[in-house]
Order: sequence, then structure tokens, then C-alpha cells
Amino acid sequence: MEQPVLLFGWFRWDILVEYKDLFWQGAWMTLRMTVVCVLLGSSWGLCLALARLAHPRHAPWTWIARFFLRWPATVYVSFFRGTPLFVQILLIHFAVMPVFIHPATGLLISGDLARELKQEHGALISGVVALTLNSAAYISEVFRAGIQSISRGQFDAGRSIGFTPLQVMRYVVLPQAFRRMLPPLGNNAIALLKDTSLVSAIGLAELAYAARTVAGAYARYWEPYLAISVVYWAMTLVLTTMLRRLEHRLARSDRG
Amino acid sequence: MNTIRRALALGLAAATLAFGAQAQNRELTVASSATYAPFAFENKDKQIVGFDIDIINAIAKQQGLKIKVVNTPFTGIFGALNNGDVDLVISGVTINEKRKQSYDFTPPYFAARQLIALPKNSTVASLKDLNGKKIAVVSASTADDIASREFGKTNPNIRRFESTPLIISELAGGGVDAAMGDNGVIAYRVAQNPELKTLDDKSFPEEGFGIVVKKGDKALLDKLTAGLAAIRADGSYAAIYKKWFAKDPNAR
Repeated sequence: MEQPVLLFGWFRWDILVEYKDLFWQGAWMTLRMTVVCVLLGSSWGLCLALARLAHPRHAPWTWIARFFLRWPATVYVSFFRGTPLFVQILLIHFAVMPVFIHPATGLLISGDLARELKQEHGALISGVVALTLNSAAYISEVFRAGIQSISRGQFDAGRSIGFTPLQVMRYVVLPQAFRRMLPPLGNNAIALLKDTSLVSAIGLAELAYAARTVAGAYARYWEPYLAISVVYWAMTLVLTTMLRRLEHRLARSDRG
Repeated sequence: MNTIRRALALGLAAATLAFGAQAQNRELTVASSATYAPFAFENKDKQIVGFDIDIINAIAKQQGLKIKVVNTPFTGIFGALNNGDVDLVISGVTINEKRKQSYDFTPPYFAARQLIALPKNSTVASLKDLNGKKIAVVSASTADDIASREFGKTNPNIRRFESTPLIISELAGGGVDAAMGDNGVIAYRVAQNPELKTLDDKSFPEEGFGIVVKKGDKALLDKLTAGLAAIRADGSYAAIYKKWFAKDPNAR
């Protein structure tokens, strides 16, 4: 095979070319997973934040909110922030998922559908679930901080013109909080993009998996890991640029 | 200024001498991936034990070598050897032509071949039947090589994992149709799982596990080869084999 020597003589471009399909598919998988997990994680994170902020004034809602919303949400956030994501991924894929989705004994889905799902998308489902549950714990704290930073007067003002508490949240508090939350949310998205690499441990063919496969086949580390570093970096640069644009736009609308 | 420099140079020279002298009989670092029962695995006291470990210890004792075994994931094991982090590898490494180009091997210390694990009700009867089905293999293992050659290196049906327990778990969980690996470990794991069975495709070639050293490390290779021959001759090899596989090495 012809070896194109473009930059460094020692750099084995040919092994990257040989596995290029795995790298392209891997990059596409990383990208899709990041987008899906950011969206799901943000939605679930918002729910968690609202649960932690629930403080109704009248009985019996006061204690219902405490035992069924605030405490579970607090324990949830504490667990998912207090244990390594890597451990969560293995736990979910090899222990939790087989309980629910298993060809023979699945509680939720069993039979041929379970086999189909697990074989085609098993690692992807586990990966998305683990990353979503984990990132939601962090994102909920961003939301909570953002919401709490909006002064109490805004809330009271909304209530006084006849909004329900949820309407105040939707039309008054969240639009203002969102601008303040954007930089930390961007941080989370970037962290999530890089954390997708951990899902390679359960056999999901994303970028890190591609690099590991090539490194394993040739016992060479510069080429595959440098290649995926460049791709990850490029992806985070694009993400950062998009976030900066969004911030500028929101700042403009803020000034009217 | 000058004295300092001279002192430094002296110190450096002394250090070099000291290390040089040590290199004569320094402790050798042995890499083994301890997820490979019964060849190498961690017992409950965090020690790495198994057939491979007993073999290398017997050889070391016979040759008067000092060794230290470090647990290294299989995917990184050749990298560790290349980097000089370890001096030799004994980790159920199958001797093959591709690897021989980059490393040196002792003669085989264990007769191995590939074995396929399947769910009890699978109708797969040979490697060829796995075409279009999902196969779990350990990344960079012989099974990975075979599956890559048979079905294509970038075929998404090949699912690569870090270790043998993971490929068996993935199979048991229904994530793949088959798992492939070295006979010793696959048989051992399948025996523990009543939902699974093994398939011995007769077309798989006879292989052997060898101890791996850096290409050109002739001094060490000669010692290991001599040690292996000696423990085979004095019966300690047969005793170790019997301990881990409950049969004599000649019986298949």
C-alpha cells in the first residue's frame, strides 16, 4: 500500500486512512450523542431544579413537596454528582439495563424487540441514559442558581398581575435566568461532549472507541489519539463559537 | 559556580554507575491483564494469580530472575512493552505472524485456539454463520484479528470491549449474538453461566500462547526459553497445568 508522507515521516497516516470509516462514524456518533444528551439532560435538569425549589405555602402541599419533590431531587443530585460517571455507565449498561430490557427476562421489554433494541442500540441507549441522568444533576444546579438569582420582586410582580406560579416561571423568571445560565450551561455541554468518550467502555463505536481499536491493532498511540484530540477540539471550538453568538444575540435583545 | 557544576557532573556519573550496576540483576517487570481467569486474575487479596503467573514465577525461580507482576489492561499491554514500562508480557498472548514482526516470543507454553460462546438456543454452527450478526471480542485480541479479517476491520457488527468478562456479560445481556475469545477463558466463563454454550469451529487454527519480549531482547528471551524448557523437563510445568485445568497437559 502506498504510504502518503505529508508532514512527518514517522506519522503513520496510512493506519488512520485504513480505519477512516470507524473515525467518521465515531465522530458522527459522538456528535449525535452530545446533542441528544444536552437536550434531554437540560429538560430533566430543569425538572429537578424546579423540584428542589418547590416551596408551597399551604398544608398539605408543604410536606408533600418536601418528601416527594425536594428530598428525592436532593438525593438524586447528590448521588449522580457523588459517584464517577464511568461507574454509572458500567452500572447502567451491565446491571440496570438487562433488568428492564432483556430477550428472556426483561421487565419492560422482552422477546425479539428486546433483542433487536439491545443489539442495534444497546450501548447507545445505556450511554444516553447514563449521560443524561448524570448531566441533569449538574445542569439542575445551574438552573437552580439561575432561578434563585432572579430577585423575589420579579416573582411577586408576576403573581400580582394574575399569573399562576408556573406562568411566572415560564414568562418572567426563566427568560431572565436563561441569559445568566448560558455560560455555565455551555460549560456543561462541553464537558458532556468530552464525557461521551467514556461510553467506549461498553462498546459504543464513538471517537474514543475508534482510537482504541486502532491503538490496539497497531500498538501505536500518537496517530489515533492525536487524531481524535483534534476532532474533539474542533467540535468544542464550534460549540463555543455558537454559544458566544447566542450570548451576543440575547444581550442585544436585553437592551431592547 | 564551577564547583557546583563539577559536583553535579560527579553525582550524575555516580548515579549512572549505580543504575548500570543495578541493571545486571534488577527486578524485571512483568505485565499481565488480570481479567483472564484462569490464566491471570485478581484473587480476593488483590494478588494476581493464575496459570500464567505460576508459569512465569516457576521460570523466574529456575533462572534466578527477580520479577514483579503488574496488572495492565490488555489493550495497553503492547504499548507498555514498547514504552519500556515493562520488560515482558505473559497474558495469554497468542503467537501470530503479525505480532512476531514487532515482538519476540518464547516457544508456546499453552496450546490455544479460538472458541465461540453463544446463547443456548443459538443455531450458529460455524464462524461463517456469524456473518451479519453481532460479535463481541476483546479489543486487539486474536479474536478481534480473526473477526476483523473475516468481516472487515470497520464492520460495526464487531463490538470491541476491554476485557473477557465484559464480552460475556454483553452476550448474557443479549447485546450481541456471540462472543469470541481464547478457549481457556471462554470455556471457564461459559461453564459458570448456564444460559450459554460454546462452539468449537474446527477451521480455527491451532495456536499457542507465548511469553513476549521486546524485539531483539535476546538475552531475556534466551533465559525465558531455557527456563520454560527446564520446567517442562522437571515436571513442575505439568504440576501447574494440573492445578489450573485439572488434567494432564497432554490430554486435550
